[in-house]
Amino acid sequence: MAEDLVLDTAIRDWVLIPLSVVMVLIGVLRYFVSKLIRSDQVPDIKIVKEGQVIIRARNLRAAANFIPAKSFRARRHYYSNEENGLLHVPKGQAQNPQAQMFSDPNMAMDMMKKNLSMIIPQTLTFAWVNFFFSGFVAAKIPFPLTQRFRAMLQNGIDLSTVDVSYVSSRSWYFLNLFGLRGLFSLILGEDNATDDAQRMMQMGGFGFDPTRSLGAEKDGLDIVQHDWALPKFEQRAVAVLKKLS
Amino acid sequence: MVSKTEEEQVNRLENQVENGGGGAWEYLCLVRKLKLRRADKVLKYGFSVLNDPSKRSALGPEEWTLYEQVAIAAMDCQRLDLAKEFIKVLQRKFPESKRVGRLEAMLLEAKGLWAEAEKAHSSLLEDNQFDQVIHKRRVAMAKAQGNLAVAIEWLNKYLEIFMADHDAWRELAEIYVSLQMYKQAAFCYEELILSQPTVPLYHLAYADVLYTLGGLENLHASKKYYAATIDLTGGKNIRALFGICLCTAAIGQLTKGRNKEDKESLELQSLSALALEKAYKQRSPAKLSLLSSTLRSLKVSL
Repeated sequence: MAEDLVLDTAIRDWVLIPLSVVMVLIGVLRYFVSKLIRSDQVPDIKIVKEGQVIIRARNLRAAANFIPAKSFRARRHYYSNEENGLLHVPKGQAQNPQAQMFSDPNMAMDMMKKNLSMIIPQTLTFAWVNFFFSGFVAAKIPFPLTQRFRAMLQNGIDLSTVDVSYVSSRSWYFLNLFGLRGLFSLILGEDNATDDAQRMMQMGGFGFDPTRSLGAEKDGLDIVQHDWALPKFEQRAVAVLKKLS
Repeated sequence: MVSKTEEEQVNRLENQVENGGGGAWEYLCLVRKLKLRRADKVLKYGFSVLNDPSKRSALGPEEWTLYEQVAIAAMDCQRLDLAKEFIKVLQRKFPESKRVGRLEAMLLEAKGLWAEAEKAHSSLLEDNQFDQVIHKRRVAMAKAQGNLAVAIEWLNKYLEIFMADHDAWRELAEIYVSLQMYKQAAFCYEELILSQPTVPLYHLAYADVLYTLGGLENLHASKKYYAATIDLTGGKNIRALFGICLCTAAIGQLTKGRNKEDKESLELQSLSALALEKAYKQRSPAKLSLLSSTLRSLKVSL
């Protein structure tokens, strides 16, 4: 690979630039479409409450030593007694999220809307890029790279002899897909950029089960040893005042 | 909480705006972000921005946020005519908005039309029962009418759902203290200490409540929390220093006879008395004699 490949300027005019422009336009379009079909989610009162209970119980666990033992015991009983404690989840009532999703059509609908605005345009553009632009070397990076970047930059070209600094058209598509976030936040405003990478991450986190975290919090609370920290503070106050005077 | 640097920044900007140096919009943004209550300034500068068409159009969509902010400030300053005007503008722009509905309810409230405001609030709550602002407005309304029992009821209902909201706990604690329901107040302060264990003010307030409740156990605990306040503030809190002296004196009175006071608590007391004396000498020497007579009456040896 001594000689450089010469890229036709037509590739720049008809592949590189159109691809980027199309990606930007699709991003903008998708933003408006998703804005149109987005529905305001009203959270379930139970879920809101459970979240708040968990925060409060966590506070109690973290700062238990700052309140007198009597108060701590009263609170622990309040949270985790077996009859009506806030953190106690009766057996059998724990719904698994899958069933919950099927029982609540709204939830499935929301998921579908979210996916609709994300997956469909992505599949379409990918198919389009694959059909028209497969196999092009679309650009060249002005610095050399190691072999490991081949998978990232030369997706769709199965030639091991091409220098790694050449970017294939399909890779250019991927780079655009994930790299246009800054541009979107510029065009569409700070917080409403359509951020694919982040959304994909959120997808992984779905199926969160509040009842399970309630149980975990209860177990955590049950094993907390209360050791009132305040008696130590008297000595510390003496030390502070001694230093002062 | 507003940090020191932020406060400095606000004050600097305020000075700049006051002396005609510009930056009104930045000032208003900062006030809004920090949730400060400087209604007179916000009204003055916000109004001047809104009255200037070129400045106003430069804000773009932020214009409406400013309208909201200035409307609330106007209500705070009892310029109800101005507030009404601003709300009307917003109403025209967002005819169906809940946020504007909230402003209208607040306007009713500011006029003192409690029944109508209550009606507006409950209709807004029907649409969205998670609107924390409206829940809080209701509490504020009950409080404004002097109806503390109702305020407590609303607050309890609110805390049943949003039980991690420490500002609400604090409000509830203060109401309980004002009604002399100290046991309940103590519970609220415990909750506050749990959520923010490093804020000395909560320790101090809890100690105050415990001291007021009285009884040997409470007094001991109270002294410990005063000590915690001293530790957290580096001995700068005068109230906590006085608290130590008072607690030790009260404990001494209760345990008279079987005098098993450990040396340490006496040491803490005399040290706090010393610190008090020093602080008075530094800041207000004229009242030093008052202090020493007070301490003498508590039988604190200096």
